[in-house]
Amino acid sequence: MEIARILENKPKNHIYGLMGNINITTNNNNYSIVTSYKFNGTVKEYLNSPKASSSLKMVMLNDEILNKTSNELSIGNLKKISLAKALIENKDYLVLNYFEKEQNYQEKENFKRLWKKLSKEYHKTIIIFTNDLTYIWDIAKELIFVDNYSVINTILKNDYNIFMDNLNNPEITKFIELMKEKGIDIDNYTNVLELLKAIYRLKESK
Amino acid sequence: MAVLFKLDNKTINDIDTTIIYPSSFNYNNDAIYYLNNNCVVITTDRRDYFDISLELYELFNVEYLRTKKDLTKFDELKLNILGSLNSDKKVYVFFNVLTYLDKEFKEKLIRYLKLANKRIINYTTDIEETLLLEYIIVIHDNLVIMEGTKEQVLNEEKILKKLGFNLPFIIELSKGLKLYGLIDKIYFNNEELVSALWK
Repeated sequence: MEIARILENKPKNHIYGLMGNINITTNNNNYSIVTSYKFNGTVKEYLNSPKASSSLKMVMLNDEILNKTSNELSIGNLKKISLAKALIENKDYLVLNYFEKEQNYQEKENFKRLWKKLSKEYHKTIIIFTNDLTYIWDIAKELIFVDNYSVINTILKNDYNIFMDNLNNPEITKFIELMKEKGIDIDNYTNVLELLKAIYRLKESK
Repeated sequence: MAVLFKLDNKTINDIDTTIIYPSSFNYNNDAIYYLNNNCVVITTDRRDYFDISLELYELFNVEYLRTKKDLTKFDELKLNILGSLNSDKKVYVFFNVLTYLDKEFKEKLIRYLKLANKRIINYTTDIEETLLLEYIIVIHDNLVIMEGTKEQVLNEEKILKKLGFNLPFIIELSKGLKLYGLIDKIYFNNEELVSALWK
């Protein structure tokens, strides 16, 4: 699905969440799609820019990786190299294609900070294509749901408790839904500590 | 516990195992090893389609894939997995694949393989997936940092956090509730914890 068509009429310089069973494509020169591309030659040859070192630093890699070929790299690092290349190309739109899937918690949090920085300070529009709502619900301004041919729904940040059935809901949401099924009156929390305090208050009040 | 494989310095026991790793870990060598040891290896890139029975389509609630045109990579992944399920090989290895599946498909797949008495080895960076299987191996800088039962490894919060992993949601919540004196043990699934809180 042409990603530029999904984003047309949407304000720039924001972070968007994108969900749906689609393949992302683009013919628009203003978009970079970040994914685990294989490339010929070394990282240095692929990046081919005086900005290679600084862009690697932004994606949390160092110069040691410059002489490696794509076959020597993990999928997680291939995705980071793709991001470094996109940063060098400096296009207005960055589309992250399941970028977080090879990362642990700390890396995900570090990259979330980068998305915010790129959006606020570098005026990029970031589109995070994922099936993991937990990854985007604290940073995305808006969630866009798509099917093969069109946008089928958009949900603003305040209404993220409305989900499609086949998506991987955050664990905290599943737990709260289970509590509600038991007849327990509880708000929709997105933070474990807040949920913990709410359960404590509920138990104390009884 | 019987040893199933010796892979580099990792001992893969004859028990369903999650292997959690950092993004820098390149599992190409492991994949070759498992292929040479006659395992079913599932990655997001491999395309080994075999015949899929109607029963399997129905069981996994994906009948629409039989006729769908313009398959996405997520559809192809599901077909790839379904096409492997009639294999007589004993061990199924998933290389960060389950994270791309929806909850229903993932749960049905694990249940199906367990019922068929297959051994599951799941490589992942998603700490929530450690709850699916019984044993955990933690890799960092290409070395095994820690291994043990799910209960043992997830109890090592400090080491996991140092390696960049958080705890699964249900463990983190259980620990907090235990600290508040509301429960007396750590729970590993939502239903049991809710039942313990509201009997």
